[in-house]
Amino acid sequence: MIMEFLISAVGLGALYALLTLGVALMFGVLGLMNFAYGEILLAGAFAMYLFRNEPWFVGAGMALVFAVAVALLSERLAFHPLRDADPVILMIASFAVSLALQSIARMTVLPRARGIAPEPFLSRRIEVLGADVSVLDLVTVGLCGVTLVAVAWLMGRTSLGIQLRAAAEDFRMAALLGVRPNLVIPAAFVIVGVLAGIGSVVLAARQGSVSADMGLQPMLIGVVGAVLGGMSSLKGAALGGFLLGAVTALLETFLPTDLIAFRDAFLFTALIVVLVVRPQGLLSGAKVRVS
Amino acid sequence: MTVLSTRLQTPLLLIGITAVVLAVGTAGGPTLERVATLSLISVVFVVGLSTFSGNSGVMSFGHVAFMAVGAYTTAYLTIPVPLKGVLFANLPESLRWLAEVHTSASAAVLLSCAMAAVAGLVTAPVVARLSGLQSGIATLAFLLVVYNVLNSWTDVTRGSSSMIGLPRSTTIVTAFVAAALAIAVGWAYRTSRSGLQLQAGREDYWAAQAAGIAVGRHRAIAWVLSATICGLAGSLYASFLTTFNVNAFFLSATFAFVVMIVLGGYLSLSGAVLGAIGVSVLQELLRRLQDGGLTGGSALPPGTANLLLALVLLLTLVKAPYGVMGARELVLVRGGRRLRRGAQAVRTPAGS
Repeated sequence: MIMEFLISAVGLGALYALLTLGVALMFGVLGLMNFAYGEILLAGAFAMYLFRNEPWFVGAGMALVFAVAVALLSERLAFHPLRDADPVILMIASFAVSLALQSIARMTVLPRARGIAPEPFLSRRIEVLGADVSVLDLVTVGLCGVTLVAVAWLMGRTSLGIQLRAAAEDFRMAALLGVRPNLVIPAAFVIVGVLAGIGSVVLAARQGSVSADMGLQPMLIGVVGAVLGGMSSLKGAALGGFLLGAVTALLETFLPTDLIAFRDAFLFTALIVVLVVRPQGLLSGAKVRVS
Repeated sequence: MTVLSTRLQTPLLLIGITAVVLAVGTAGGPTLERVATLSLISVVFVVGLSTFSGNSGVMSFGHVAFMAVGAYTTAYLTIPVPLKGVLFANLPESLRWLAEVHTSASAAVLLSCAMAAVAGLVTAPVVARLSGLQSGIATLAFLLVVYNVLNSWTDVTRGSSSMIGLPRSTTIVTAFVAAALAIAVGWAYRTSRSGLQLQAGREDYWAAQAAGIAVGRHRAIAWVLSATICGLAGSLYASFLTTFNVNAFFLSATFAFVVMIVLGGYLSLSGAVLGAIGVSVLQELLRRLQDGGLTGGSALPPGTANLLLALVLLLTLVKAPYGVMGARELVLVRGGRRLRRGAQAVRTPAGS
């Protein structure tokens, strides 16, 4: 029982950390609070639906390709011309991008939710350390965990990662020191696309369906996690997302049924309180770099 | 030209423009009247939003929540008591009286404004402390909280089922009167001492603070006032449509109003009014285009109208981030040098 709960909590935490990382990365590098992030996820899930009759790895691969393509396109068409704009203007622009992508999804194949039959092996349950655990939870933990480790390696050990972190720290200074904006910004969008693509594979498998408005919830999770963890540091954001996931799993298990419906209200009230009391986030240091 | 008449030019011109909408709506058929009334209600809302955003330079994504408060208050107060007994059969004990109360239409409008003002008062301390992107996220979070409560507290709010059976008390004339009133109030605040101090804070937060202006307090005042006006819009909306759903007060409505205020120019009251009317017309045209009525061809897939609206907004943000009007106001005669120069000095809003 405890083991089951732990695995599902860790799974949800890892998934939320993944979602949060995408939001935080874009915010750090560009000052962009990207509400279109959910629609990048949608693009991945959309690919899963299109290739639902192919073997699963084709669908998952195409999800990555679609998500990265949509992320890059949105950068090229919408955010590139607004590069020097006010963060609030950028946020409004991302609203517009989000609505545009959602409308395109509605216009083509998703006027209503479509089911994706999950791979049969995902719904099986196996015995781990004496506990009965669903394969889906294990896959979630594995996939998200590997991705997080990969991102940590990329950000910490590679030249690109160092440039990205420098850009997140102080974009203008980094540019003066030779970090090329035209390299790091698209690179950030590619990474976010990959994160969203993997997130969409996991989400589609967990939900078993795809719909035009499926991006909203994960995007909000990413925003809340990023604010809670502190948007200036990626580590803080990932940790914030992880905690958010773990707490959500906890609330869903232990909150009385009447109150579960109000989970979001509690969550967003907490978000407002954090914004007022600790704008740098719960987990980060003293440095404030919000807006 | 005396200073006074220069000052009054803008609100009178704006009220004149809304009067044109009234005239067109009255002269046209029932469809046109409906569109005109809804666009006048949008004017009320966007003027309310602009009372906060225009003066403080802080964008809010949460004002639709005040509209929802106004609409739900009107629903509780005007739905006939027998019908309410059926609609709210499961009210918790402490709220039983909700099924019994009933007021006249005008009292309901006033109480709706008051309830929205209370919601504004409760949230004002938060708004006073935040600016820029933080404020954007916090106001959005406020909208999400209100939406979640309205959507999930099924016994009291009917959740995702529609509110039905409100008597129709909003006509195109009342909508016009409300729009004119909102414009007058919005302009009065904008030119008031508090409004001018808040605009100083918008131009340069720290300079204003250093000059002894409590920017936070004026933000809170503007927030409550704008909440009240948006509550009025919600009340009119509810009693015009006679039935509404919680989903009318969520992201798509927020988006539509944001398009209006950004397109017109969110720093200027004229921009708010022109944006509200212009985008209402645009939305109607897009709707007809999507239905195929405009081209005479077959219907386009649903979502086309939203896609085009989003593209219009993006184009505006890229080409003219401060909208059609920028920070200018409509004037006929270019008198009042002081006013004009003040209006052109705007460059960036607070928080950057």
